[in-house]
Amino acid sequence: MYAMTGRERILAVLAGHKADHIPCMPITMTFAADILGVKYLQYVRDHRVMADAQVKTAAMFGFDYVSTISDPTREAADLGAHIQWYEDRPPAILEDEALFADKSVLAGVEAPDTIAGGRMEDRVRGIELLRERAGKGLFVEGWVEGPCAEGADLRGINRLMMDFSDDPAFVHDLFDFTLQVAIRFAAAQIQAGADIIGVGDAAASLVGPRIYKEFVWPWEKRLVDSIHANGGRVRLHICGNTRRILDGMGTLGCDMMDIDYPVPMDQARTQTGPQQTLAANIDPVRELRDGSPETIAQSLEALQQQAGARWIVAAGCEVVRDTPHENVRAMVEFAQTHAAIAMA
Amino acid sequence: MAQSKELYEAILNGDAKKAHAVTQAAIEAGTEPMTLISESMVPAMDEVGRLFEEEEYFVPELLLAGRAMKSAMELLRPLMVASGQKLSARVVIGTVKGDLHDIGKNIVASMLEGSGFEVIDLGADVSAEAFVAAVEERKPQFVCMSALLTVTMPAMKTTIEALTNAGLRTRVKVLVGGAPVTSRYAKEIGADGYSENASGAVGLVRNLLAEA
Repeated sequence: MYAMTGRERILAVLAGHKADHIPCMPITMTFAADILGVKYLQYVRDHRVMADAQVKTAAMFGFDYVSTISDPTREAADLGAHIQWYEDRPPAILEDEALFADKSVLAGVEAPDTIAGGRMEDRVRGIELLRERAGKGLFVEGWVEGPCAEGADLRGINRLMMDFSDDPAFVHDLFDFTLQVAIRFAAAQIQAGADIIGVGDAAASLVGPRIYKEFVWPWEKRLVDSIHANGGRVRLHICGNTRRILDGMGTLGCDMMDIDYPVPMDQARTQTGPQQTLAANIDPVRELRDGSPETIAQSLEALQQQAGARWIVAAGCEVVRDTPHENVRAMVEFAQTHAAIAMA
Repeated sequence: MAQSKELYEAILNGDAKKAHAVTQAAIEAGTEPMTLISESMVPAMDEVGRLFEEEEYFVPELLLAGRAMKSAMELLRPLMVASGQKLSARVVIGTVKGDLHDIGKNIVASMLEGSGFEVIDLGADVSAEAFVAAVEERKPQFVCMSALLTVTMPAMKTTIEALTNAGLRTRVKVLVGGAPVTSRYAKEIGADGYSENASGAVGLVRNLLAEA
């Protein structure tokens, strides 16, 4: 088979077609900033730095894509939430000063314009730049906070967790709002040339199947459908132990779904069915950072058997800084030297 | 005891109003605070922990149960202080410097308080100096540290070094936890224990107390 570009390879696998070998799409944020030799504050504030770091990292290791994932605070920052900035780590939201700590504030706030000189626009410009620089060779990934995660960012995660019981109507209103923010942000990124939109909905792994089914899935589904309607694709990324909500996740219709390390990959495959493209889930700390090329290759062999045909190599979550380069190379080498298992 | 069962159920079901009301009634009926804690609260929180381990309860249920437990404790605590009764151990807990993630730490704090320990929660983004000051002032038996990011984990080592430099290290057992933390890392930095979950943390504190 001819050697595909990274973009062709990922597109083939997402469509269920044969590729020359397995694609590799690990999430890198601080790791990429370190490769470029910049502080993370520069990376998150300036899309040109982020693009430089992503292109350099992808080229250095042989990833099939570049991504504009950076931190969970872009949407919240543009809404006026109080953000804690750090010199060399991702910014964070101050929960004590959460935008909707007072529930009544929600009614008076509108979803912000994406292109308004803020942090969301910075990501959109990053996609345009990566599209230009990556050319046809690399897949370009945008990113949005999922409705539950953004709800947690704006309300405060501790408050939201109790709101499901204390005030379910407020949660519906909150997620209606965060959904609008995500739909608009995703649409702008698709228009800028993003091949896929990562939907990061980490808080969803904390709630269990009952709350996920009632409060999260319907809003995630509307976001997925909107992204598809706008010509985009979806990479669902729910960090943490999603074992009990896999069946729901599998019915969203996402083009690909990351599985984090606590979830046995064979269960992920059984619960989501043979057609769902799955990615990951080597443990980013205990295996990818602390393991060796040999143990990593062994883990990936086992994962491929469990994940089956429609599978993309990645770590369960972000590749942490200080991960030895030889370990990252071992992960990529596995993908580059293995073809997909034939569909059963 | 009817009231013990009612408080047990109220905590298990995350019903803070009921937990408060039942505790108030029990106090008025002359029930000893330590009886309520040991016969209702601790078994309820143990059951909450078990249900969490079994993936029947999740973070919302844990936080609601913790809130119900706290609503009972706010009535019991002043009575215990007034009568000079002490809980079996004092724990200082916090998320380390530079890390704002606190939901895991909050769950551990709730589980420890519900298990009958006195918990001093320093919050998130807690400096080594603040941990040292808390140990000096409050004289706990345990210090529990949480981190959710690999970049903030080194603050655990910094805090242990600060305790050593302040001459306080041998007075406390230091326990660590959080998603990127491993038992290997805990040993490397000289912690006394590591737990990968909230129930484990409670078990660790109980075991270390029993050994003391």
